[in-house]
Amino acid sequence: MTDLFQYVPGNTPLHRMNPITKILLTLSVCIAAFLTDNLFVLLFLLVFDLMIGVVAGAARKAFSIFRGLFKVSLFLFVLQALFVRRGNRLFWIITDEGLLTAASVVLRLLVVCLPLALVLTVTQVSDIANAMVQVLHVPYAYAFTLTTAIRFIPQFMEEMSGIMEAQTARGVEFDSQNFFKKLGMLLPLCAPLLISSVRRTGATATAAEVRGFDLRTRESGYKRYGFGLVDLAALLISAALITGAVLIP
Amino acid sequence: MIELQALTFRYAGADRDALHDITLTIPDGAFLGIIGPAGAGKSTLAHCLSGVIPHAVRGDFYGAVRVDGLDTADSRLTDLSCIVGTVFQDVDSQIISSVVEDELLYGLENFGVPREEIEERLTFALEQTGIAPLRHRAIASLSGGQRQKVAIASLIALRPKILVLDEPTGELDPSSSRQIFSLLRRLNRETGMTVIVVEQKIMLLCEFAERLIVLSDGRIERDGTVREVLGDIAGLEAIGVNCPRSARFSSLLSEKTGRPVPVCVNADEAVEAARRLIG
Repeated sequence: MTDLFQYVPGNTPLHRMNPITKILLTLSVCIAAFLTDNLFVLLFLLVFDLMIGVVAGAARKAFSIFRGLFKVSLFLFVLQALFVRRGNRLFWIITDEGLLTAASVVLRLLVVCLPLALVLTVTQVSDIANAMVQVLHVPYAYAFTLTTAIRFIPQFMEEMSGIMEAQTARGVEFDSQNFFKKLGMLLPLCAPLLISSVRRTGATATAAEVRGFDLRTRESGYKRYGFGLVDLAALLISAALITGAVLIP
Repeated sequence: MIELQALTFRYAGADRDALHDITLTIPDGAFLGIIGPAGAGKSTLAHCLSGVIPHAVRGDFYGAVRVDGLDTADSRLTDLSCIVGTVFQDVDSQIISSVVEDELLYGLENFGVPREEIEERLTFALEQTGIAPLRHRAIASLSGGQRQKVAIASLIALRPKILVLDEPTGELDPSSSRQIFSLLRRLNRETGMTVIVVEQKIMLLCEFAERLIVLSDGRIERDGTVREVLGDIAGLEAIGVNCPRSARFSSLLSEKTGRPVPVCVNADEAVEAARRLIG
């Protein structure tokens, strides 16, 4: 889980692509997924996502995200199939439309989640933030919020497991198989975790300030983010995905 | 130059002063070590020197701290940070970026270091702290000691006029600690950077610092050259400062033989002192 949002270095076309293009491509996949109701288009988008994973050299990660989402998807599928009442009854209370809706909801979830996780695998958050400031003229404070939020995820996890280890050492059974029992034991940990995080956030803000946070301007970034052929190709693909989603009934 | 005048600070909600009536002058180009038992006010003093107190910590602040003529209470933290670089004790909360290179770039970019100079400063800081191979690594994947080096390197790259370090070798092994102190001494001698180190490892301080301040209970108990301060072993131990064995040895030697023995700050000097007494 900790490595879900972690950058994996590489030199694939996706790594070299402008961060803004990558975000546009990701958003296009998401928009296309919400514009279409066609199951085949959704299936195509899912295959496209997995292909992106392969091109990014993160095929294993893409499949593991896919596997990780499987349980949630199954739950969603059953829920949708049970609650959608329209269409012809197939058996018990299940209708054909219910099944179709359930399938499209699940596919949409997978199609949308995969590229969002993958974009962070091939792009450093700082590059996304810097490119947003440089190219899209987003105020730096907002970009900084984004990078800090994502940077804190592994630290949060580390702290959480630290607190859990400390509790385990004092006899709390975190290895219990009972989900509700485990949840009951985890909830009291939220307070210390929250307090330590807030304290740490304050310290990080001071650390940023003493290293010139307030002096930063749009031109401050050392790295420059140009647009190349690979970006053009990605933009064309993005346009094609959205057009396809709109045109194919 | 840093001047502290009757500085007293009490944290909000505390029932006693963390620092009490501190008057101190630190000239440009000094290499100053600050030691003292836990809770003596060392980190508080470091925060006062860098302006973090009173800007980012709540409490009652009396007296004045002037850094290069700027009164820290009246100046913006950003303006102070152009003069004073600070390495905090809690390394994790100091790190801002996800990747080592970005962490070093952060300050360089903000302070507007010219583009053509950035690469040279970056490589220098990485190489001198011994983390050049980690340049493109994710900080989350580094050990505590490596993170500490990243934090130090990110400040070294900025080349501030005054560098304040709060226990910079807390997570480092002995050889890395020496490496960092050697680097600090070189920067101090070659560039005239004022270096102020809060440290528990007294051996290292005695070897590298020129002046030593001993804090206890928020007050300055001793202030002088390393040899002056180490001259009173019994006094230091009463305060709770663990003295280097070489200094204890020279003090014992003098006590037992009744002859004056110069204060020894390392093993070689202790051997020399013993040899002179014997032969």
